[in-house]
Amino acid sequence: MTSLRKFVIGITISFGLPWLVLIVVPAISAQKLNTLAYDKERDGIDGVYPGTGIYRQGQLIYAKEGCTQCHTQMIRPGFAGMIDPWKKGWGSDQTPIPSQPTRESTQRDYMYEPYAFLGVQRNGPDLTNVGYRLADKSRSEIHAHLYSPQSVNKWSIMPSFRHLYKVQPIQGNGSPKALPLSADFMPLKGFEVVPSAEAEELVTYLLSLKKDAPLPGHVVAETTAKK
Amino acid sequence: METTETTSLEDSLRRAAIDRSVKGPVLFLFANAALWLLAATVLGLVSSVKLYAPDFLDSDWTWFLNYARVQPAHMNALIYGWAMQAGMGTMIWLMARRTGQLLKGGSTVIVATVFWNIAVTLGLLAILFTGTTSMQWLEFPKYLWPIFSISFLMIATRLVGMFARAKNEGEGFVITTYYILGACFWFPWIYLTANLFLHCFAPTLNGATAAGINAWYVSSLILLFFVPVGLGACYYFIPKITGQPIHSNQLSTLGFWGLAILGGWTGFQKYMGGPLPAWMPTIGGAVMLLLLVPAGIVALNFHISTEGRHSLIQSSPTLRFVFVGSFCYLALSAVGALLGTFWTGSLLQFTYAEYGFHILAIYGFFSMTMFGAIYYIVPRLSGCEWLSARLIRSHFWFSVYGTAALVVCMLLGGLAQGASINAPGNWDLPFVGSITNARGYLIGRTIAWAFILWSNAWFFIHLVLMVLGLGRRSVAPTLLHHDESHAPVTA
Repeated sequence: MTSLRKFVIGITISFGLPWLVLIVVPAISAQKLNTLAYDKERDGIDGVYPGTGIYRQGQLIYAKEGCTQCHTQMIRPGFAGMIDPWKKGWGSDQTPIPSQPTRESTQRDYMYEPYAFLGVQRNGPDLTNVGYRLADKSRSEIHAHLYSPQSVNKWSIMPSFRHLYKVQPIQGNGSPKALPLSADFMPLKGFEVVPSAEAEELVTYLLSLKKDAPLPGHVVAETTAKK
Repeated sequence: METTETTSLEDSLRRAAIDRSVKGPVLFLFANAALWLLAATVLGLVSSVKLYAPDFLDSDWTWFLNYARVQPAHMNALIYGWAMQAGMGTMIWLMARRTGQLLKGGSTVIVATVFWNIAVTLGLLAILFTGTTSMQWLEFPKYLWPIFSISFLMIATRLVGMFARAKNEGEGFVITTYYILGACFWFPWIYLTANLFLHCFAPTLNGATAAGINAWYVSSLILLFFVPVGLGACYYFIPKITGQPIHSNQLSTLGFWGLAILGGWTGFQKYMGGPLPAWMPTIGGAVMLLLLVPAGIVALNFHISTEGRHSLIQSSPTLRFVFVGSFCYLALSAVGALLGTFWTGSLLQFTYAEYGFHILAIYGFFSMTMFGAIYYIVPRLSGCEWLSARLIRSHFWFSVYGTAALVVCMLLGGLAQGASINAPGNWDLPFVGSITNARGYLIGRTIAWAFILWSNAWFFIHLVLMVLGLGRRSVAPTLLHHDESHAPVTA
């Protein structure tokens, strides 16, 4: 029995240490994380960081559909060969040459989510700040992308999420929510495609993904650079 | 002289009694595992095609077969359906043989296995039809984790019980039992931690911390369940088949405690450059490098122990699979180190290379050693010999070529994908570059899965016939080459 006891003690110490240091202590200290206030004099803006959270109801659809298998939500810093901050459209500034690189993600960006969907792979573009990217598109255009990705980009390998949409016969002038699909991607003549409630939730969530609010204390530098 | 004869007779009777006591549970675990392996392979084949032809099998009624659902279903079937069950079967048999104890309460093990399989079935149906949790390797719906935990504990307590009884009778403590006993403690600890934190305490956590815990779970499951069970099997079968003892007990112990001390620190390197405090991925990456030390120690020990007996690979199916498996342990440590350090990791992060690493660990290393174990164990339990050396040989070669092609394609494909994502010149281009770059490697991935499917289909049929007791009635084991000089060696 003694060697079993010794063995169990050995395992407990050798595994308990990383368990405490990597899991338990960070989990407890993460609970103490709170919002930071902007200083009007220093930062030039009011309020707190992070301000608004994501649209949680739609995030549940994002999780359920397994979007994380191919999409990350994490802007990496710009060194060691990583160019995330300079990717066009990955931040708030959608102009071809933004004045500022996109800010890397911080722990507080995910404060209002029980689980941050940082992603498994990056087979598709990063979605951390996709809300800005989609801002100039209508909701039905975003729906068309989800319904038939190849209708937007011929080369896309994104799967169709058509099970979130309803195909129904056109009545009268048709639904105002009908997807603007080109003839090749329409289901049947005389039918139209309309989003379900779940699809609407998902799009609202995607539009709420704007995780690049400036960090308190770093705003001045950015505004000066813009001028 | 008389005493030795009595002892050897007693030994044989004891071994026969042990085998009888574990027969039902172990064969039941193996048969279920092989079925899930087949399912996982088919799902892997489908999901690999989806990555370059998303309209493959994409009619209105097969909506659930999109990549975002098939891929997690494939990985979960492979891990919980096949690998864990094959591992548990092997753990039971090895522990019983090593401690010389009968399995008490075999029916408990069968009940646990039944519940385990119900949970896997429900989980896979849920992933495909109602959606995933999007937590890597924990994609099953959250109501299932208590079933998995309790089923595993029901089996693990039997193993610890066997070990405790053996100690009372003063049996020796050997390295195989270290590894298996370790896995009995580590898996529940890791699995409960991940599930409690992610499903129960998550609302009080910070989202980024929760994502880190998930990454830690994936890495710990590989290093502290699959690696110890696989190595435990290697440490049993290598000396058994070569007839030479393990070269150095000191090296074995060092390799074990090296893994035990380092294994729990990794995982966070998946999110290097991410929102977590930088020291966490740094430790993960550094420890992945340090893990090369225990891997090297184990490999050296195996190499010296088999010195001069390498030719046995020609005839013994078990040794062949175990040899490939133990080589893959070294390979997976090297690939893990490449993925973990910032230098290469930032290029390979979030690419197919990670999938390649997981397949190398679960298939190249773990499954290969489990195949070896199954080829050794099943004839002893079912009372008949494998039907065909040709089937075993084709299982071996198709698995080896398939896995090697898969891992190489995914590592190179990941490199091509990562190079495109990180190329400064691509900053303003649409995402098409990484897709076209990786395309060829993804087609390779499909061909590799087709190879593996071919080998596993035959493996499944062969195993089912054995479990049903329809094998060859013979006293001579099925060897791959019938060479007289190797005749006395048991396969």
